Amino acid sequence: MSALPIWQFDVLLLMLVLLFAVVALSIRNLMGAAVVFGAYSFMMCLIWAGMGAVDVAFTEAAVGAGVSTVFVVSTLYNTGATMQRRTGGLAFKLFIGVVVTVAGAFLLSALPDFPKWGAPDSPVNATVAPYYILNTFEDAHVHNIVTSVLADYRGFDTLLETTVVFIACIAIYSIMRVDNAKLETDEPAIVAAPRYDPSDSLIVRQASRFMVPFMQLFALYVIAHGHYSPGGGFQGGVILGASLILLAISFDLKFLLRQWSEKTLMLLVAAGVFLYAAVGLACVFMGGNYLDYGFLDSVLPGERDMARSHGILLVEIGVGITVMFSMIAIHINLASNGRFDRGL
Amino acid sequence: MEKLITNFNYVIVVILMMIGLWAMLAQKNLIKKCIGMPIFQTGIILFFISIGAKNKAKVPILSKFVVENSSAIIVNDYANPLTQILMLTAIVVGVATLGVGLALAQKIYQQHSSFDEDEILENQRK
Amino acid sequence: MGFLGYILISTGLVFFLGTTIGLLRFPDFYTRMHAAGKGDTLSTVMILLGCICLVSMSWLLALKILLIINFIFIGSPTATHAMMDAGNKAGATPWRKDSK
Repeated sequence: MSALPIWQFDVLLLMLVLLFAVVALSIRNLMGAAVVFGAYSFMMCLIWAGMGAVDVAFTEAAVGAGVSTVFVVSTLYNTGATMQRRTGGLAFKLFIGVVVTVAGAFLLSALPDFPKWGAPDSPVNATVAPYYILNTFEDAHVHNIVTSVLADYRGFDTLLETTVVFIACIAIYSIMRVDNAKLETDEPAIVAAPRYDPSDSLIVRQASRFMVPFMQLFALYVIAHGHYSPGGGFQGGVILGASLILLAISFDLKFLLRQWSEKTLMLLVAAGVFLYAAVGLACVFMGGNYLDYGFLDSVLPGERDMARSHGILLVEIGVGITVMFSMIAIHINLASNGRFDRGL
Repeated sequence: MEKLITNFNYVIVVILMMIGLWAMLAQKNLIKKCIGMPIFQTGIILFFISIGAKNKAKVPILSKFVVENSSAIIVNDYANPLTQILMLTAIVVGVATLGVGLALAQKIYQQHSSFDEDEILENQRK
Repeated sequence: MGFLGYILISTGLVFFLGTTIGLLRFPDFYTRMHAAGKGDTLSTVMILLGCICLVSMSWLLALKILLIINFIFIGSPTATHAMMDAGNKAGATPWRKDSK
């Protein structure tokens, strides 16, 4: 039923993940809910790795369990409201429960028509997927089938997804950013002052100062080795972003902003998308279609398939740059409430 | 009944989606709504990944041995990569959406000093 | 070599059990963090050492797992220290035997 030799383990993990989801939603303390939400993401990552989807599990571990939890905690940090109010409204919740159960029953009524879990002859494995598995190495000289399909065969999807991350970064920036000069007249002040500052502790500062260069080295390895092992642009970009978020958390936010100023951050977020789109346009100038890397073989070393491999690497670097600086910019905006002066 | 065991993953997927949907509709706290949304999204991702899983299949990465010896690549040996790629996109877009939701929640808190829906509506009427 | 790996992994699991029981049964924030921090790090390192014994045929993989052990050994106690420091500054009072 799965790639694991013991399928009961998969079933147990699936039931545990339901328990985690229910607990995350019923804890009244919102910080606790954020932590259990991180644990839920880790459990999902384990299930997907068990089903043979290691790239997806890698991305979920970096993005869902790492960065998402930090976002929720930074949002709660600035406010004093970490306990959910005990409200009534039980009738409304029961009504929604009934509606949701009916909808679920409708969806479950299609259960007998689905293909069996783990069947190799299900319709989804029939048409395009065998072509990708059989021809990836000939066409693009890449071992990791997921990377080649993501950046080469389906390159348009990845370009637009990188653009979506860029747009989300701009949206959060425009929602949250306030000008420090107009502060006293317009915006009301933040409610809670922090009682604990991690940069007071020498141990935290030194340990993070030790870990950050190795995290960045590993992240560059993940981006470059995405052709041959699980990895790629997204995972490496998120790890790079997380290394700088670690610096921001363990030292001061101003420490990070002195090294990477706000203008540099926003320029580099755009630079990643620009690199991706520019590679596609360069292919048009060489005579091919947009994002058809094979036509770059006059500029890049090697034959057509090596040119496609190098094109994939360039594009993954672009994705990594955008994702890295997006994560940092979103964290700074959420943690400092848009003021960019002091925060988590 | 036997179908329930062989298609068990779909049951979990539907239950997860419904838990996430319930959280987004019924919970009064804005942060709980923002937590319900990724639960829904990860349910959908689990659905796609479990469709692409194959019995005793390997990870979709061609090993060095297979490539160097140009041995025949057996399709049924590898898990389906197509569904995984679609879901990679979905995860990243999901975290971007979560970030936007949290930014909006923080701005609402700044105006009304509360994350609770009822208090915000009361505050707005004043 | 494989047998040693299984023994190390089982020992790690036993320490995890001890950590969980300590997390549930200890009376106070500081004692619970003590149990969680120490037990967590030790059990994870033992399980990873067991994994090294199981993949001992490929030295590159064993080296990578050794690097992971290195980072967990540095990062996990730091996180425990940060949490205890935060609890101290936020005002958690230590449990005394007579206060009950």
